[in-house]
Amino acid sequence: MTIFITGCGVNSSLGLNYEENLTALINKKSGIKNFGENIFFNHNVGKIDFSNEELIKKYDLKEYGSRTAILGAIAAKEAFMEHVISDEIRTGLISGTSVGGMDITEKNYLPFKNNLIDPSIFNLHVSGNTSNYIANELGLTNIYINTLSTACSSAANAIMIGARMIQQNILDRVIVGGTDCLTDFTFNGFKSLMIFDKEWCKPFDENRNGLNLGEGAGFLILESEKSIEKSKKNPIAKLSGWNSSSDAYHQTASSPDGIGAIMSMTKALNMAKLNPDQIDYISAHGTSTPNNDQSESVAFINTFKNKVPHFSSTKSYTGHTLAASGGIEGVFSIMSLKHDLLFPNLNFKSPIIETNLTPITEVIKDKKINHILSNSFGFGGNNSTLIFSKI
Amino acid sequence: MCYIHKISSISHQDTFNKSFKLDELEILDENSELISPEYKNIINPSSLRRLSPILRMSLVNAINCSNELEFDAIIVGTALGCLLDTEKFLNIILSSESETLSPTSFIQSTHNTIGGQISLYLKNHAYNMTFTQNSLSFEVSLIDGISCLNEDKNNVLIGASDEKIDFLNLIKQSLLKHKYPLTNISTFLNLQKSKSENEIKILDVYISYSFKDTIENEVINFIAKNNLTIKDIDLCYSNENINIPFKNIENFLKYSGLNLSASAFAFHMGVQFLTQENNGIVLIINTICKNQLGLILIEK
Repeated sequence: MTIFITGCGVNSSLGLNYEENLTALINKKSGIKNFGENIFFNHNVGKIDFSNEELIKKYDLKEYGSRTAILGAIAAKEAFMEHVISDEIRTGLISGTSVGGMDITEKNYLPFKNNLIDPSIFNLHVSGNTSNYIANELGLTNIYINTLSTACSSAANAIMIGARMIQQNILDRVIVGGTDCLTDFTFNGFKSLMIFDKEWCKPFDENRNGLNLGEGAGFLILESEKSIEKSKKNPIAKLSGWNSSSDAYHQTASSPDGIGAIMSMTKALNMAKLNPDQIDYISAHGTSTPNNDQSESVAFINTFKNKVPHFSSTKSYTGHTLAASGGIEGVFSIMSLKHDLLFPNLNFKSPIIETNLTPITEVIKDKKINHILSNSFGFGGNNSTLIFSKI
Repeated sequence: MCYIHKISSISHQDTFNKSFKLDELEILDENSELISPEYKNIINPSSLRRLSPILRMSLVNAINCSNELEFDAIIVGTALGCLLDTEKFLNIILSSESETLSPTSFIQSTHNTIGGQISLYLKNHAYNMTFTQNSLSFEVSLIDGISCLNEDKNNVLIGASDEKIDFLNLIKQSLLKHKYPLTNISTFLNLQKSKSENEIKILDVYISYSFKDTIENEVINFIAKNNLTIKDIDLCYSNENINIPFKNIENFLKYSGLNLSASAFAFHMGVQFLTQENNGIVLIINTICKNQLGLILIEK
């Protein structure tokens, strides 16, 4: 059964919607900046420069929520735009997040303990409530709602689980993706792991130091053919394959042999019934950490048998958006398929000596793009791969 | 059709590693404590040292549910995740300007650490998923596990765990308006397509939100959808009063305590009922969170 994509929505430090993100990508304009001493200690981050209040006003949201939920609602609304709400189309929402409402909790934890505030605000902390918020903002009640949390592979996993539910005829149409916002908690967490680059990150570069954090949300609408007959939406791409496999190597590091990544890429290709040489482009996980980029490069070489296709990481554009990355990068992959454009790996100078792979460093516009493989690898060794194809 | 081959719970009742009898369960009060197994007999002490209660409970339950075959999927549900480590790390960052932060609490604070630790310990490379859908985390995990079995997988580990911390007691009134004491719960099961020795199977799992209909109508429709009537249900576990004339209704919260993964414990109680009675059908109704309904049917 073919899984069609009939909508997408995205926000990141590149912009608040599809058009703004596409424009930045084409113009090689990164959203990563240093916001000064008081904002994340002088580190470069991919922050969306609007407050929650500004976003709620701008997008006419009904309620206050955690920033994760707000960003998710904006992207999901863009994706679901003009989709009909009907009892005949069994609809679901599956959203991935690692932060949940921690932005709310870290501000209110001590004030609450000092008896200054009402505890009901902590309802917004709960992971599952971010998805409930998004469904509510879309005016969707009594749909299937699920939330998952597998760190940086969350959105990718949400996409694949949604696809499976359509295949098994449990749902007809699913809004799938992920969202995460920047928080002191996460920032300090990654700081404690010492995997930041204080300066602008350099994915796949020999001299890379670490990642830059980002925030944002990316959602897709998946539908079956039967559903499209009712919704009358035009498909813009297909989801032709997917897989999630585990590294089982370490709680935060990827195995140097790229075991989990090789498995997820190979099995996704098998599912899509594609040979490696049919992949036109890899949207890499490419966080710019010494560990990931080495491990992922080894996995590329093993999976593509030394004929590694064009690849890049867009994380030097957006920063690492954690749970949202599979969703945001999924939307970027849809852009590539729709407009026949490939986006470069910004800030790259020298290939990793061990693997000697060079990502694309300019926008590529003269090539027909048929199949894109997109990777999202999470802490806990959760390796997920999606394959998007042209209609 | 999928069969329960093994099931394991750690709770405030004496449930671990035994086929516990329902009439031995005690009604819990504020003084009830988690009854933990001798972890060091199961996990080596150096690994054990860093693991929070939720990680220990989950890992040991997973080990207890293992069989000779590698799991094709490991699916974990948790509403609030690893609270102890989350609070620990939060306190660290809120209280000090320290340049050097220990990463251990942060690493162990993420919801999917549970699944990750299980995968690491069992050296399992398969599908590994963590669902965090509030009080329905167990139900959505079951639905996903059953989906996996309907695909190409045969041998699935599914579980739900939630731990309590003192901070939760402070905000209990707001989050959940119930009178039962907060508890720790972890329940895991091994689900397979092939028939199990005990022949207990999951018939159906269903969730819904902001129902257009009453809970009672949702329940009756669910039962009817499975070609059953009210009379066919031998026991119904529910967390609130339900206006349906089942032969037998029991409030499971008395025995599980208040926990967002309590329906998993109720599920285990249902399995024990079927084991004792040797046949029957049990329905579990979960409305622990307002506007979130979970329904599970099991049969022997």
